[in-house]
Amino acid sequence: MKFAFLCKERTRSSGAKVAVVGAGPAGLAATGYLVCRGHEVDVYDKLPLPGGMMTFAIPKYRIPLDAVMEGVEDLQKNFGVKFYLSTKVVCGERHDEGDELARNNVDLTKLVEGYNAVLIATGTWRSRRLGVPGEDAENVVSALEFLLKLNLGRLGLLEGKLWSFRRVVVVGGGLSAIDAAEESLLSGAQEVYLVYRRTIKEAPAGEYEIDRLIRLGVRWIELAAPKSIVVENGRARAVEFQRMKLGEPDETGRPRPVPIPGSEFTLEADLVIAAIGEIPTPPLAPNCGDLVKYVGKDGRVLVDRGYRIPGTNIFAAGDVVTGPSKIGQATKQGLEAAREIDRLLSAKILVTAR
Amino acid sequence: MSGVGRVGVLLRAIDYSKCMGCETCEVVCGFIHELGPFIRLYEIGGGVRRPISCFHCSRAPCVEVCPTGAMRRDSQGAVYVEFSRCIGCMACLYACPFGIPDYSPTTKTSVKCDLCSDLRREGLTAACVAMCPTRAIIIGEPRAIGDEMKRRALLRVVHLGDT
Repeated sequence: MKFAFLCKERTRSSGAKVAVVGAGPAGLAATGYLVCRGHEVDVYDKLPLPGGMMTFAIPKYRIPLDAVMEGVEDLQKNFGVKFYLSTKVVCGERHDEGDELARNNVDLTKLVEGYNAVLIATGTWRSRRLGVPGEDAENVVSALEFLLKLNLGRLGLLEGKLWSFRRVVVVGGGLSAIDAAEESLLSGAQEVYLVYRRTIKEAPAGEYEIDRLIRLGVRWIELAAPKSIVVENGRARAVEFQRMKLGEPDETGRPRPVPIPGSEFTLEADLVIAAIGEIPTPPLAPNCGDLVKYVGKDGRVLVDRGYRIPGTNIFAAGDVVTGPSKIGQATKQGLEAAREIDRLLSAKILVTAR
Repeated sequence: MSGVGRVGVLLRAIDYSKCMGCETCEVVCGFIHELGPFIRLYEIGGGVRRPISCFHCSRAPCVEVCPTGAMRRDSQGAVYVEFSRCIGCMACLYACPFGIPDYSPTTKTSVKCDLCSDLRREGLTAACVAMCPTRAIIIGEPRAIGDEMKRRALLRVVHLGDT
């Protein structure tokens, strides 16, 4: 990936400095645009390598690591972009998934003072919880946590041990569920169950992807939702599910899954993976003061049409604004926000030059 | 321009065994082309969306059929529309087996991918190629495209183990 796809090398300097927080597709696409416009960019990321979900969540058989890294090296070598990795930027305090990998902390308000503009592109690094008894057991994990650890292990960056597993139960019907199930299988699981509360027709991952996994040997169970995790000595031993039927359409327009009383069944598992969605994680924690009012109830950053938090030099783009999306949509947000930042900086430079 | 000197052949291939439908190609194309995007994804069933765009055929029916010579080939071999000559009859659309040329109500002409001629002039590659996370989109001379696709086919069949 050449994130600076609009130019070969930096030919001019605007004198303006931009901090990009989050080195995923939105942050890196924005960085590529900004350096081609002559701005100096520093990129901050809490993880030990750039790429975000592309490096740490999406399986390598989909996106090869060097496809991301060649673009990162181009930014470093030809455009002087500095990467501050293992560095968590936050205003206030909050713990998200992957935070334990950060070695340094930087206060967002310092970046706001030290740079002409700051772009928040921190994505969705918190997982929705199942909300059933027993989910705190050590071998109940989120898809994000599972994929992150697996990738850290492969990259030789994992501290501690990976779970050992033979029977895996994945709960969910989206692309994270697909990736978690397929990666479990590839990592040597004997049996992998993929359980979704609606039917294959409603699953966000689509019928094709689910059929593909079934052909690979994953056992697909639809119309069932977890009711509790059966825990023994702090470890999950099984998941109790309840059968569902489809009811009236809910607010998303899809038929609502309705529990069928007395239909409970259990699946034994030594690893339970919850893949039921991720939540935006902006570096604006609840105790961050005034800026918190620009974080919506669902965690998304509320920006104006110019991707800007009104009245500040802070911009936001990507999944942290939209919620979980595809690389393309995150890239689009990053590019459009970068164009807005460039407009702001160019206007400022004109004013100062007068 | 076409007809003068040696005209190269520049092909595009989309490796659908790698594409995961992430939409990055469509997005970057739309970002830099006001009349675009010229590579777009379509739902083909089962929740699968995949991109399609001009393959810049070496015996392009759109070029053959164009009554005004507007559909032509640049010096590197990319097929493009010369707007000043195009009358918007869309004969190119009917001739194209992939249905690629679009009609633009803005220019009242046929519009299509020119493999980012502005970027190629600067020594860069087309935006969709540069930004595809899976390297599914490749452009190049026919021999290079053929070699790369065959190398990929081998990698799918011959497993080297963990690399």
